[in-house]
Amino acid sequence: MTRGTADWGAMIRESGIAALVALVLALPLAGVRLSDGGGTGLELRPWWVVIAVAAVFAGRFVLGLWLGMRGRGGSGAVPWFDRAVTRMTPHKTLLLAVFFVAVAILPLTPLADRRTVDLTTLVMIYVMLGWGLNIVVGLAGLLDLGYVAFYAVGAYSYTLLAIHFDLGFWTCLPLAGAFAALFGVLLGFPVLRLRGDYLAIVTLGFGEMIRIILINWSSLTGGSEGITRIPAPSLFGLQFTANPGAGETAFHQFFGLGFAGIHKLMFLYYIILVLALITHLFSERIRRLPVGRAWEALREDEIASRALGLNPVMIKLSAFGLGAMFAGLAGSFFATRQGFINPSSFTFIESAIILSIVVLGGMGSQVGVICAAIVLILLPELARDFAEFRMLLFGGAMVLIMIWRPRGLLAHRAPSVRLGDRGSGAAQGGGP
Amino acid sequence: MSVTAQDVPGGPGVTGADAPQGPMLTVEHLSMYFDGIVAVDDVSFGAERGRITGIIGPNGAGKTTVFNCITGFYRPSVGRIALDHEGGSFLLERMEGFRIARDAGVGRTFQNIRLFPRMTVLENLLVAQHTKLMRASAFSIAGLLGLKRFRDAEDAAVEVARGWLARLGLIPLADREAGTLAHGIQRKIEIARAMCSEPKLLCLDEPAAGLNPRESEELNRLLLGIRSDYGTGILLIEHDMSVVMKISDHVVVLDHGAKIAEGTPEAVRHDPAVIRAYLGEEEGLPEVVAGDIAADTKGEGS
Repeated sequence: MTRGTADWGAMIRESGIAALVALVLALPLAGVRLSDGGGTGLELRPWWVVIAVAAVFAGRFVLGLWLGMRGRGGSGAVPWFDRAVTRMTPHKTLLLAVFFVAVAILPLTPLADRRTVDLTTLVMIYVMLGWGLNIVVGLAGLLDLGYVAFYAVGAYSYTLLAIHFDLGFWTCLPLAGAFAALFGVLLGFPVLRLRGDYLAIVTLGFGEMIRIILINWSSLTGGSEGITRIPAPSLFGLQFTANPGAGETAFHQFFGLGFAGIHKLMFLYYIILVLALITHLFSERIRRLPVGRAWEALREDEIASRALGLNPVMIKLSAFGLGAMFAGLAGSFFATRQGFINPSSFTFIESAIILSIVVLGGMGSQVGVICAAIVLILLPELARDFAEFRMLLFGGAMVLIMIWRPRGLLAHRAPSVRLGDRGSGAAQGGGP
Repeated sequence: MSVTAQDVPGGPGVTGADAPQGPMLTVEHLSMYFDGIVAVDDVSFGAERGRITGIIGPNGAGKTTVFNCITGFYRPSVGRIALDHEGGSFLLERMEGFRIARDAGVGRTFQNIRLFPRMTVLENLLVAQHTKLMRASAFSIAGLLGLKRFRDAEDAAVEVARGWLARLGLIPLADREAGTLAHGIQRKIEIARAMCSEPKLLCLDEPAAGLNPRESEELNRLLLGIRSDYGTGILLIEHDMSVVMKISDHVVVLDHGAKIAEGTPEAVRHDPAVIRAYLGEEEGLPEVVAGDIAADTKGEGS
């Protein structure tokens, strides 16, 4: 490679093109602003445009220099990351265990203020949703864009059961899961014959349908105002309230502590931790069972699966149902945590975020979902201070991940069973 | 027409209920139309257990369509496809594809290999034993609880897979992703995968396509081994005359959707209709051509 003036010329040209694109984008985005004073006047901000264009030009130029120095680095892979992943992979279980223990003791450390506990709870809700959707998308290969519908079904079934039938959280939780699973199966039926894009469109429509029903069926769901005063869960009958009703005992009274709001947050934190842990253990286990392998086989090649006697109907429905069940469980947790729900919590963007978590994490990867959830949920929350640039950061992070890791952060797939692990003789049941 | 001893099993009552003799698969008057185009036209033949039945014919003769009808991927327009074995009697033309594989015991492979590319070889062989394992795992409940009954069944399934891999000499590749392996190896694995589902009838769609002569020889040995060790009836579509002629016990020749000949490889090879179908209708050629085909298949066993 001879690197001479021609190279510089090319770099300047590319920077120029980038600057031109920036100019086109910056003119309407940064260059014009509705003036505040109540009128409809436009305020022109030429300097913003100049700054944006100059920044892009300089940035592209520096990027070009850097790439030039590294030598043409190929497809944009990150070698150190790949190496780290390869080295970590055998210790995946250990890593996950360490992660869970760390998360479990987090609220007991001095680090744990209200905000940390709250944020971690939020991330864990999405981790759980990601793991649930992973069953449908990652394992069974069914692109589901309406996953939030089952989240909504779970949230509303808990709320309605709790309010109208006066049932406790722990009774409603499995019921909400069952309802969501039922909805998953119901949705599954009409879309069995669809694949890929078509399936995505229909599931997207289903997600919107649920949301619109929730808005319009106001007699039951309270319409877009939603439902308030959703009861909070109790710990073996101990309430997390400052002044429990007659005949009830509050948590702080029972343990002789002063009342503190954070107790309830920590309790919720541990509930979602346990729920997420259950989701994880369940999906890791079921992946190694015949049904899990059947999901993957169906994802890989439906025709070959049929030829081996796999019933695609049952297999797809079981994936839809189980995936939806976890969304339902997460949904009822969400309802009890918020104490208030309305349909605007269950918009398409939620489905998109959950799907992004699965795709960015690497389809089928459990650890990947955690990483992606941290990036996609924590980052925007932490960046709340830069409110205007939040979505920009979000989009940028996604673009970068897709450039560096097109198959997701952790795309490694561990075989569900290995011949190598099972000595050579006859059955030595050592496997999982 | 040189339709030999094994005549068309047409009449009623030919398929004895549980007699081990007589054809296991009986195809009668099978026709398949696609929007008025006749792909298969009134084809009848039989296939027996423990024997290799070859279906040959030029491109577009309707071989794969016949196959797809038998294995349930197409629903035939006209005709009856009956399968009789210890497991029961089935009318395949009325069954859904996966039931034909699961209940009637018909295994198949595909012309362009269809392994599960991102799963390991061992997993591919375990998916083939899904029905058995699913039952043992009590629809995943016993499996989730890790009960011994399921673990034993899974160990047994792994041993079945190990047996096949050992037979093919592929044990070292067991934990590799199937999609990364060489074409010839994938072919063998696909056959092993079909055999892991313990079929009574194994349908192979051009198994020798894309194999080099050595691999093709290995394939022949594998199929002869399956026939003698498992008594599986094998139905084989092949383009390449040399393969079919060497290992088939019985050959059915299709051309333009119709059966033009049937019989032993020897009889079919000298059948003028077959020669015409393969090489056109030029006058005076048949003798020379017959010689060519014979030369092509020299070294034929038995």
